[in-house]
Amino acid sequence: MTLAPETTAEPPVAPPGSEPDEAPRSMLRRGWEVFAENKLALAAVAILALIIGFCFIGPLFYHSDTSVVNLSAVTQSPGTGHPLGTDNDGIDELGKLMVGGQTSLEIGLAAGSIAAIAGALYGAVAGFVGGWIDALMMRVIDSMMSFPLIFLLIYLSSVYGKSKGMLILEVGLTSWFGITRLVRGEALAIKVRDYVDASRMMGSGGTRIIFKHILPNTIGTTIVNTTFSIADAVFALSTLSYIGLGLQAPNNDLGGMLDVGTNYASQGYWWMIYPPAVVIILIILSFNVIGDALRDAFESRLQKR
Amino acid sequence: MALLEVIGLRTEIRLKRSVVHALDGIDLSVDAGETLGIVGESGCGKTMTAMSIMQLLPNGGNVVGGEIRLDGRDLLSLSAQEMDSVRGNDIGMIFQDPTTSLNPTMTIGRQISESVRIHRGASKKEAHERAVEALSLVGMPSPAQRALVYPHELSGGMRQRAMIAMALANEPKLLIADEPTTALDVTIQKQILELIDNLKQQLGMAVILVTHDLGVIAGRADKIAVMYAGKVVETTSTRALFANPRHPYTEALFQSLPERSAESGDRLYSIPGLPPDLTKPPTGCRFAARCRYAVDDCRTNEPPLAGTDEQHRFACFLPVGAPVYRTEAEPVAAPTADAVVTERIRESRDRTQAETLLRIEGLVKDYPVTAGLVLRRKVGAVSAVADVSLSVHQGETVGLVGESGCGKTTVGKLIVGLEKPTGGSLLFQGRDLAQAPRTERRRLRRDVQLMFQDSYAAMNPRMLVRSVMREPLDIHRVDSPAERDRRIREIFDLVGLPLSALERYPHEFSGGQRQRVGLARALALRPKLIVADEPVSALDVSIQSQVLNLMRDLQSELGLSYLFISHDLSVIRYLSDRIGVMYLGKLVEIGPAESVYSNPVHHYTRGLLDTIPVADPAVEAAKSSQGIAGELPSAIDPPSGCRFRTRCPAAQEICAQVEPKLTAYGPDNHLAACHLPLRPAAAASEEVQPALV
Amino acid sequence: MTAYLFRRLLQSVVTVLMVTVVSFGLMKLMPGGPVRAILGSHATPANIAHLTQQMGLDRPLYVQYWTWLDGLLHGNLGFDYVVQRPISDVLFSALGASAYIVGVSLLLALLIAVPVGMVQATRRNSAVDHAFTVFSFVAYGIPTFFVGFLIQQWFEDDLQWVSVQNQVSTFTEALTHPEAICLPVLTLTITTVAGYSRYMRSGVLDQITQEYVRTAKAKGASARRTLYGHVLRNALIPMVTLIGLSLPALVGGSLIVEFVFNIQGIGLVTTRAAQQNDYGITLAATLLTAVVTVVGSLVADVSYAVLDPRVRLT
Repeated sequence: MTLAPETTAEPPVAPPGSEPDEAPRSMLRRGWEVFAENKLALAAVAILALIIGFCFIGPLFYHSDTSVVNLSAVTQSPGTGHPLGTDNDGIDELGKLMVGGQTSLEIGLAAGSIAAIAGALYGAVAGFVGGWIDALMMRVIDSMMSFPLIFLLIYLSSVYGKSKGMLILEVGLTSWFGITRLVRGEALAIKVRDYVDASRMMGSGGTRIIFKHILPNTIGTTIVNTTFSIADAVFALSTLSYIGLGLQAPNNDLGGMLDVGTNYASQGYWWMIYPPAVVIILIILSFNVIGDALRDAFESRLQKR
Repeated sequence: MALLEVIGLRTEIRLKRSVVHALDGIDLSVDAGETLGIVGESGCGKTMTAMSIMQLLPNGGNVVGGEIRLDGRDLLSLSAQEMDSVRGNDIGMIFQDPTTSLNPTMTIGRQISESVRIHRGASKKEAHERAVEALSLVGMPSPAQRALVYPHELSGGMRQRAMIAMALANEPKLLIADEPTTALDVTIQKQILELIDNLKQQLGMAVILVTHDLGVIAGRADKIAVMYAGKVVETTSTRALFANPRHPYTEALFQSLPERSAESGDRLYSIPGLPPDLTKPPTGCRFAARCRYAVDDCRTNEPPLAGTDEQHRFACFLPVGAPVYRTEAEPVAAPTADAVVTERIRESRDRTQAETLLRIEGLVKDYPVTAGLVLRRKVGAVSAVADVSLSVHQGETVGLVGESGCGKTTVGKLIVGLEKPTGGSLLFQGRDLAQAPRTERRRLRRDVQLMFQDSYAAMNPRMLVRSVMREPLDIHRVDSPAERDRRIREIFDLVGLPLSALERYPHEFSGGQRQRVGLARALALRPKLIVADEPVSALDVSIQSQVLNLMRDLQSELGLSYLFISHDLSVIRYLSDRIGVMYLGKLVEIGPAESVYSNPVHHYTRGLLDTIPVADPAVEAAKSSQGIAGELPSAIDPPSGCRFRTRCPAAQEICAQVEPKLTAYGPDNHLAACHLPLRPAAAASEEVQPALV
Repeated sequence: MTAYLFRRLLQSVVTVLMVTVVSFGLMKLMPGGPVRAILGSHATPANIAHLTQQMGLDRPLYVQYWTWLDGLLHGNLGFDYVVQRPISDVLFSALGASAYIVGVSLLLALLIAVPVGMVQATRRNSAVDHAFTVFSFVAYGIPTFFVGFLIQQWFEDDLQWVSVQNQVSTFTEALTHPEAICLPVLTLTITTVAGYSRYMRSGVLDQITQEYVRTAKAKGASARRTLYGHVLRNALIPMVTLIGLSLPALVGGSLIVEFVFNIQGIGLVTTRAAQQNDYGITLAATLLTAVVTVVGSLVADVSYAVLDPRVRLT
């Protein structure tokens, strides 16, 4: 006796894919279409590709030795031989920029990946299990999130070391709490969905539900926030190096270069400051813009379903 | 001249890459004191029509042509400011969902008085007094106190009353009600519709009632406009429309209603295909592609909205029905072929005597209510299911009906094992599920599957339909993987889905197809019993009939049993051999479908039958009962004795003191639990053993 | 609401306890332990044993934790063997300047971000919206220390605008020398506004599409009335939660501006201590700031409960 109620928010169009003979379109493709519409995001992808190419492929074509101090050529302004000048140790800035960018990107990407995996798993388990275990697990997260990140990192790096490997661990293991909260929130919503009930009724156990149903459906949130945590990791690492508690010379990252460079600000050695600053800012900006566009893509796809 | 006249209204919605031609030349008129019903399936443009009149279109929406005249003034020529002074003053509007339509952080009183202050320039105090007045007008108990509460402190029905008070605070000339009762329970629906009717008479307003429910429209509208794909296809008086539909679409809608075939048990008519895509509306008649009478002319030329007389207009070259309908003519008597009915009852009895598949005895489910700040101790329980016994036989369909919150869905969840019972037992083929060892329980559970209300929600959106179908087979490691695929193909054949559908995602299907996939998955493990929880209530009537037909076909082909859970008595009656009626966790009446429907014993069943709107103006007009008064009491501390006594018209002292037991009424296992039944009990009345149920 | 407040208070107590457990754990996990950290790598076994006993480190873990926690509750953060002063002396004297910077920046950021977010949302996709979007992305993308550096360059060196020679460390000093902290506050405000205005913008956009807004329009409320009478209040409520959530980032940001502008706040003290491998002060500062942010979010959540009738009346 009933016709389905009509909602006002949606314009009256036939449900998508109603004609069974049209070629199946994957969700990935539709998400990509929305993403590709965002010109800013495409620009960010291009910039990021350029920076990655510059840092990792650049050294194959532009040779310079960033480990040898050359006191006869300190703080030279840009010119032939040194397109971006030299630093206070006479090391070529352009070569140093490539190596520093590599380090920043490597640590950022690795720490972001640790954060994504740890965050998604912990969040999915807490949300799925529920009850007092969830409450306890989330209080742990609450308490970790109430530590100002930079204080915690300063302590960890000064006590446990400032090598590249240790910094990846230190930054990675302190930046997954945000993802956990979001994934756990989604897991709470997903576990009461009918399709989880359906699977449970068919006899699936917790592991199957977490890996087959909860995690795949939080993948959007995880990807989006991994992008943000990579940006945050680059940010945190550069800050740490800037205050002298990150990577130690001669293993510089971009933050460390800025630490040195800004000391010479009053002398007007701009080439020691602005090139690394621009690269850091572009990396952080690109990841944030891409994350934002990915969120729009995932959300709009869910709306269109 | 009519109070509101809509002439040639055209509305478009601009999307990113296309334009939806949502309304294309709508003509309507309403007089003061008259109710116009606008009815149609989802996406037909009925809500868009209401929003165009109010000029509250969604983003990108625009009226691109036509006139909207209220008392002769063209609303489309007004400035934004002038239109503000029309909304809420000349035209009031109420919406579907009172929960989201009220501002959560503002008291009810302030939200009503805001409207008075805007249009009447009243002081805060005057406006508040008017708000209290309006609340008492809509029957809000203790309105002065209720004016000070926030929306979340009220029940759904009371919130909708507050919405109505807000819309009527300035005594508008026209009230637009957009699906005003769709979010509410049937018993509350009746109260709200009655209230709107009374206020219409009291204030002499015109009402536009927008709804998808043909039953609601049959009982409440004076005249009706049927919409399809952004056009009015037929408009006339309510009686004429139901007695003599002229447009094939209207005819098809009526033929897909289950109540029309409830007695005969005939297959329902279902409209093939889907409504057209309104970004590229077809030339010619928009219904032509789905119309069984269409000829070439229909596909090339557009039929105008015309008719034999001013009173009955329709847009069709090849109208159906009688050319002239005389209003004094007797409504066509329903041809109740007694023989058919007897045949059905006999068949049902055969099934009732078949092997018992599922027997539930004294089933109880309580949800603990906790309180306390640190240690959350249990302080009470929500009694969701209280001592319910019933059985389902091989090849039989048992319908379970009741308002939301009556426990019918919980019964379903208990049966399929999604919830654990607090007490009682579930016997499947004679084996107690609770006591069976783990492996046997797993095996027994395979024979009972659940079909969800919203199959889309019941399918992981990240899985291909193939994986969705494979999941139950994989979990139970049925046969070899190749064999599993073969079985899936077999089932898809059975439910009439193309194999290409396996490589698609759930969101690519229409509602009816999803329900087919849902049914297919439920069948994957070759169950004996399917618990169907509101499987068609989210579907349009024409799609609903497809699914109901399919369920029937599969039943006779595979010998399935169904436990069919629904709030919709017409659907239940069409499909069920026996009907059980639940109220607040209790089974109050159960018996053969026809017997319960036409000869109920319990006052609640009677009230429910009177409350549920039927798509037949004659039946609606003949209804004498006021439905069921009041609201569903809390299940945390249910009323003593008979749980229905607080809302029962016949309640007496005994009802509060002694809990009535299920007693036999008649020879055919018709049982009811009432101290003061509507008809006397069977001669040898005695307490019924659960085993008999 | 009492039930809600009590539960929320209890939650905060548990969180603070967890914070102390984590800090205690970090202290215990120090490579070589605190004794080596104090005595250095050339300590003799006898010296180590002596100090271990003196510090009570030979007792069971839970006893040590309990003694340590008891000390914390009495404001005793331990004794710093590097500067030979109680840690609480060192930190509490620096707390004022940091609190002042965080407080003023937070207030300014809200005063700017709320109207900006509202304008952006109501004029979605206009030039103003795009301009602020670009600003917030860029401001969010530049590391705080570099924002500080740029501001320092422009205002101090190029414009000779303010001179920050005063060492501000106490609350009263901060109050009497507003010029000394105005650049750090500006820096922290810029980065905070970037995040807050994005949040406010999407909050208002969220509320605008709610059905009650349509109801208000159906009543005849003008666009202005709908925005100020209905949308604003509902969009502000989640902002309160955001304040609580963003406190740790603000305190962290304060550390950076203190470092850049050389202000004797808790952040600079911590950085200097870490650079000298003085772990005691570093850890104590980390613990202290965490506890402060827990209390801060508690206050934010209590205001949330007062503002939202759905919480207040249950």
